[in-house]
Amino acid sequence: PADKPEFIDITLSKTQRKTPTVVHKHYQIHRIRHFYMRKVKFTQQNYHDRLTQILTDFPKLDDIHPFYADLMNVLYDKDHYKLALGQINIAKNLIDNVAKDYVRLMKYGDSLYRCKQLKRAALGRMCTILKRQKSSLEYLEQVRQHLSRLPSIDPNTRTLLLCGYPNVGKSSFINKVTRADVDVQPYAFTTKSLFVGHMDYRYLRWQVVDTPGILDHPLEERNTIEMQAITALAHLRAAVLYVMDVSEQCGHTLPEQLELFNNIRPLFANKPLIVVANKCDVKKINELSEEDQKIFADLTTDGISVIETSTLTEEGVIQVKNEACDRLLANRVETKMKGKKVHDVLNRLHLAMPAKRDEKERPPFIPEGALVRRKAMEVDAPKRKTERDLEVELGDDYILDLQKYWDLMNEDEKNDKIPEVWEGHNIADYIDPDIMKKLEDLEKEEELKEKAGEYDSDEESEDEEMQEIRVLAKQIKEKKQLLVMASKEKDVHGPRMPRTATKVERKKLEKQMGGLGLDMDDKDDSHYAQQARRSRSVALKRKRETSAPPTSKTRSQSASRPPRDKSGLRDPKMAKKAKKMMKNSQKDMNRHGKKGEADRHVFDLKPKHLLAGKRKSGTNDRR
Amino acid sequence: MRIEKCYFCSGPVYPGHGQMFVRNDCKTFRFCRSKCIKNFKKKRNPRKTRWTKAFRKASGKELTVDNSLEFEKRRNIPVKYNRDLWEKTVEAMKRVEEIKQKRQARFIMNRLKKGKQLEKEEAIVEVKKNIHLIKAPHAGKAKKLEDKMVQKLQEDVDMGDEDV
Repeated sequence: PADKPEFIDITLSKTQRKTPTVVHKHYQIHRIRHFYMRKVKFTQQNYHDRLTQILTDFPKLDDIHPFYADLMNVLYDKDHYKLALGQINIAKNLIDNVAKDYVRLMKYGDSLYRCKQLKRAALGRMCTILKRQKSSLEYLEQVRQHLSRLPSIDPNTRTLLLCGYPNVGKSSFINKVTRADVDVQPYAFTTKSLFVGHMDYRYLRWQVVDTPGILDHPLEERNTIEMQAITALAHLRAAVLYVMDVSEQCGHTLPEQLELFNNIRPLFANKPLIVVANKCDVKKINELSEEDQKIFADLTTDGISVIETSTLTEEGVIQVKNEACDRLLANRVETKMKGKKVHDVLNRLHLAMPAKRDEKERPPFIPEGALVRRKAMEVDAPKRKTERDLEVELGDDYILDLQKYWDLMNEDEKNDKIPEVWEGHNIADYIDPDIMKKLEDLEKEEELKEKAGEYDSDEESEDEEMQEIRVLAKQIKEKKQLLVMASKEKDVHGPRMPRTATKVERKKLEKQMGGLGLDMDDKDDSHYAQQARRSRSVALKRKRETSAPPTSKTRSQSASRPPRDKSGLRDPKMAKKAKKMMKNSQKDMNRHGKKGEADRHVFDLKPKHLLAGKRKSGTNDRR
Repeated sequence: MRIEKCYFCSGPVYPGHGQMFVRNDCKTFRFCRSKCIKNFKKKRNPRKTRWTKAFRKASGKELTVDNSLEFEKRRNIPVKYNRDLWEKTVEAMKRVEEIKQKRQARFIMNRLKKGKQLEKEEAIVEVKKNIHLIKAPHAGKAKKLEDKMVQKLQEDVDMGDEDV
């Protein structure tokens, strides 16, 4: 749920949007009443829903695991929490009552004005009720945000719990053992809340819980942060790792640490306990003074294992982990065995031990290579020189030459440069151990074929007659084409004149017939020539005379004005220059065949030679 | 580095040219140019598209079964490198190529022989039918006639001379 004013705003605007808005005085009264009742009920419904949602979403302290209940108590104060939720509940009920009352009243509203006022009053009262809950809502909001960030600790699974003074190395330990990334800083109380990390051991998932450091006060004087650690200790059934700082770098002496240990010992009642002597890289236990060593000796005699570790050099960390996990597992198994559910499972399990059939020894078989490798790993000697070593040795001169590892028939052929392609064929396609034999067979075949005369060129020289015929045929073909072209050039759209309308010229006739091989010289007194001379169809025309020059005034004035290409020019030199300029400016236009400056016509927008044709073996760059 | 074959036109695809299309059933198709790709996308059958090598082989226009064609074959079992084998192969390849070209040319020539025969016959028919377009039937006959008459006259004169 959001802030109080937003809450109210949202609901009111929702009412505005989702209910009908239009009502008039002249409507029937039941309709007006219904309209306003609807608004009141809608608002009440909304508030009710939202508040119910808040109430249900928050966990009830009685319903959750005691660890979490206790933790929430520590963090948020159980009483305050319950009170806040109670207030919300009351608000909800009040809103419901308000709505009920006003709806009842609205039944007696007799005008639009009255009903509207009632609705206004109802909504106003509901909003006021909520305004009074401001502080509760704010508190609950904060609780919600903090709650969502609590680490998800499963109280029932295998857990290791780290505790001890501040700055002893609990967070470093958890960082080393799991993938958690907890802040490690030199000041005390770096870890202010519980942190969880996960790790794997023996194919099982383990939780490791890091707590804030605990100081040596009595329980009542502890602050929230320490109380979290205590809660964790109290409720989680875990293996406890009490971390002590041997080098006393945390700022507390060993006796102090021992004091704390004894004080919280009752919390370790049924839990496997290990004392972790951390920071042993700075100071080892045997370097300590007599009394301090005695402390540890006492602990050991008590039956608590003390293990030296150093989270910096990682010695002993694995040992601690293994021991803690083993002991916790044993503990859990024991507890389960004592319970009743175990028997169901046990009844179904049966461990079969194979009986010996003869006295032959059958030890496990370890191949030699594995033994050799294990020895090599222990000795830690490099077996053979790798390429990387070679690269490092030669530095800049190193060239990667994989061909030296090739396994060929002749060793000296390793660095051959092989031709791969010849004239469009891949040489690798021809490689065959039997190729020479095949080639021999092919050559024999070829010889046979040649002998059989397959490859003789069969150009039987054609006799002269045939050649003549061919020549004539070619000429005939050409003549035919010419005739076809001539007929195509005829003007079919003009009037169709009979053949005799156009006169045949004598020259043309004689030329044509001469082309066909007839003798046409000396045909002056042939019939057609004589006929031609006799008829004379066209009368001769009179020759035109040149006309006299004009005599009127205007004509003579125009004659006396200088022509345009000579006006304004002083001397022939200037005239020449002017003419040159004119010609220069026209050169480009002429070159492009343009009529003048303004001629921008493009004769061929889609030149055929670029765009026509089939897709032969070429590129499409220029299309 | 290999010269591949175009799936559509069976032409050579040199390295750095053409495209390869991989279908959902993992079959790859190489093409030499966009002409082949476009035809492929139009789902045209290369065996029916006249300008491809596949068509030519399928319709018997080119040599298909021959020993010289068996040499160039994609082999799946690699042979270990052996220098003199490779040298011999390069030489053999050249000779095989010669023979192959000869045989292919001969095959095509044989196919085209019939056409030449038809051409000849056509020429003869043409000449027989349309000789009048280039030569008048009685061309030169006038002159011959004249010569004959002159000769005859001459003979008559001679005869006359003899008689007398």
